[in-house]
Amino acid sequence: MIQMHSVSKVFRTDVVETHALKAFTLNIEPHEFVAITGPSGSGKTTFLNVAGLLEEFTSGQYLLDGKDVSRLKDDERSRIRNEKIGFIFQSFNLIPDLNIYDNVEVPLHYRGFTSVERRKRVSAALERVGLAQRMKHIPSQLSGGQQQRAAIARALAGEPRVILADEPTGNLDTTMSGQIMDLLEEINSSGTTILMVTHNPDLAMRAHRHIEIVDGTLAGSRAGNRAAPERGDVAGAAIAAAGPGATAKQA
Amino acid sequence: MMLKHDLRLALRSFRRNPILTALTVSAIAAGIGAAMISITLYHARAGHPIWWKEHQLFAVTLDARGSDHTGEELMRHPEYPPDQVTYRDAQALYRSDIPKHAVMMYRTARVVDPGKSGVKPFGVTARLTTADFFPMFDTPMRYGAGWGRAADTTPDPIVVLSSRLNDKLFNGANSVGRSITLNDRQFRVIGVADRWMPQPKFYDMTTGAFDVAEDLYMPFGWATELKLSPAGSINCVTPSAKVGGFDSLIDTDCVFMQYWVEIPDTAALRRYQQFVDNYTNNQKQYGRFVRPTNNRLYDVPAWLDRNDVVGDDSRIDVVLAVVFLAVCIVNTVGLMLAKFLGAAPVTGLRRALGASRKHIMHQHLVEVVLLAVIGGAVGVLLARLGLWAIKAMTYVPGPDDGPERRALADALAHMDYSMVVLAIGISILTGILAGLYPAWRIGKAAPASFLKAQ
Repeated sequence: MIQMHSVSKVFRTDVVETHALKAFTLNIEPHEFVAITGPSGSGKTTFLNVAGLLEEFTSGQYLLDGKDVSRLKDDERSRIRNEKIGFIFQSFNLIPDLNIYDNVEVPLHYRGFTSVERRKRVSAALERVGLAQRMKHIPSQLSGGQQQRAAIARALAGEPRVILADEPTGNLDTTMSGQIMDLLEEINSSGTTILMVTHNPDLAMRAHRHIEIVDGTLAGSRAGNRAAPERGDVAGAAIAAAGPGATAKQA
Repeated sequence: MMLKHDLRLALRSFRRNPILTALTVSAIAAGIGAAMISITLYHARAGHPIWWKEHQLFAVTLDARGSDHTGEELMRHPEYPPDQVTYRDAQALYRSDIPKHAVMMYRTARVVDPGKSGVKPFGVTARLTTADFFPMFDTPMRYGAGWGRAADTTPDPIVVLSSRLNDKLFNGANSVGRSITLNDRQFRVIGVADRWMPQPKFYDMTTGAFDVAEDLYMPFGWATELKLSPAGSINCVTPSAKVGGFDSLIDTDCVFMQYWVEIPDTAALRRYQQFVDNYTNNQKQYGRFVRPTNNRLYDVPAWLDRNDVVGDDSRIDVVLAVVFLAVCIVNTVGLMLAKFLGAAPVTGLRRALGASRKHIMHQHLVEVVLLAVIGGAVGVLLARLGLWAIKAMTYVPGPDDGPERRALADALAHMDYSMVVLAIGISILTGILAGLYPAWRIGKAAPASFLKAQ
């Protein structure tokens, strides 16, 4: 699903050059649920941004769903983001003056769907996350957990191939975190690939695979507690791609 | 579909930032308002009173000035011949059959006796003119028609009334065939001109470029028959010429008549110019036209330009207003930049969710153009208010002012539909100019950079 080979990302200013990703190589199979951990500033979010085509990388090769996205123009990158990728953010990133329905509808506008199609998809997504009764509420009228579920509904409405979640439980208490993880697991079970950045080792272990990024490189990869997806030996393939030093623990 | 969506987003953005929105609308409205006031005044002055044949009508001017004509040092364009012609030159020019139509004419004053008990006689302005005046200037007629050339020489006791005078004397009824008394002489009405107020009053601007047409029109032959003095400008252009009685006036080098010809094709125009030059060269043997030949034919736009109908002041006003509009646009660029960058995290989010750079630019341009159109509408209201104030300051209604004079004052400070359309066009252009850079700036940043700021 995601194949990165020697991807590097360098941020340059007049006085300093920061290597956020260094020769980063990773292979993520379809339907996989991968948790990403690492210390602050290690390059996790940069990896997620590059993976989500939110940021261009400096060198290397990146295949998303089999397509080389290294040198795409903005229109094409935007289209792929819209059609194949769903984003979930730590701070939910709902638009404050739109109600939940309108928030979930936002990406569908850029897809060119008719209003009937949009309505169908928004309703289905909100139903799936259990917010069908709250669609007229604005974000500030909802709890943190509900807001994150609304953000998940927004990510789901476009039926993406992969969901990129940047600390989706970072602003939630333990109970709500558990509920969000249950929801993500359920989404993954239905076939959507998930990459999730987290600082919580317990949540990381609920994934198929848990990889660690340190100083912009893949420092380790091991299997999580979640049963591996049916298609092939995902963990084994990933370890092979990660290179020497990676460890594996079969669930 | 995206347009509808972007319009909704724009309205939402207005609600979210009412103060910034009001400031932007005010800046645009001030710029558009000032621009429209000066452009409207310019437009009224630079109008095309007879646009359909303005390049076929020519004012004829001859340089009959003596070598030491005084006062030239005070003139802005001393090289221009006098703007009127002498009686004898007009008579000579009138003999040419090259023009399709030719008119010699001047303005005079008469007294009308309404012949009704209790209604006092009153003064009117009259135009003594040859017959071609009506077909040449396409004067619209409400009733009847003008006269034929024969009536000029006889002359026939006939008149054409303005609709204004016809309203006053006959309550607007068809007065063709009825009589009026002008200075104790009976004249038969053969026609009534419809409301006609070419602005500028190009065919005779000696009493002001913006004036109402005369109250009535009389065959030119009455000029000599009744020895009617001109009620306009008289300029004696040679040292020996002096204004005395009517008989001496028509026999000296004093210019007081307007002379116009209609010549539809350039070959005929060249022949006519040659005819005029031959005439003045021939006159040199009688001691006239002592200067180098300097006879000029002006079509209507050139004639208005020659008479400085649109003065430099009007042009400078327009330039200043456009500069002010540019300042307002720059101001709007700053306001929009602040507004767009303030909402950058949401824009970054939209980018992450699939909006392309083009989508973002389009969305923000729609917002600015919508603001500009609203600003333009407010600007048009401001302009109307400003024009009303200018009219109130410059036009004081007189006791004898009829509806036409009031209409003239209105016309000079009136925004017609073409001006409103122009205002909308300028508003949209303003929006695009003001929004292009902020929209481009917000569109070009990588979405991740805004999401970090969220």
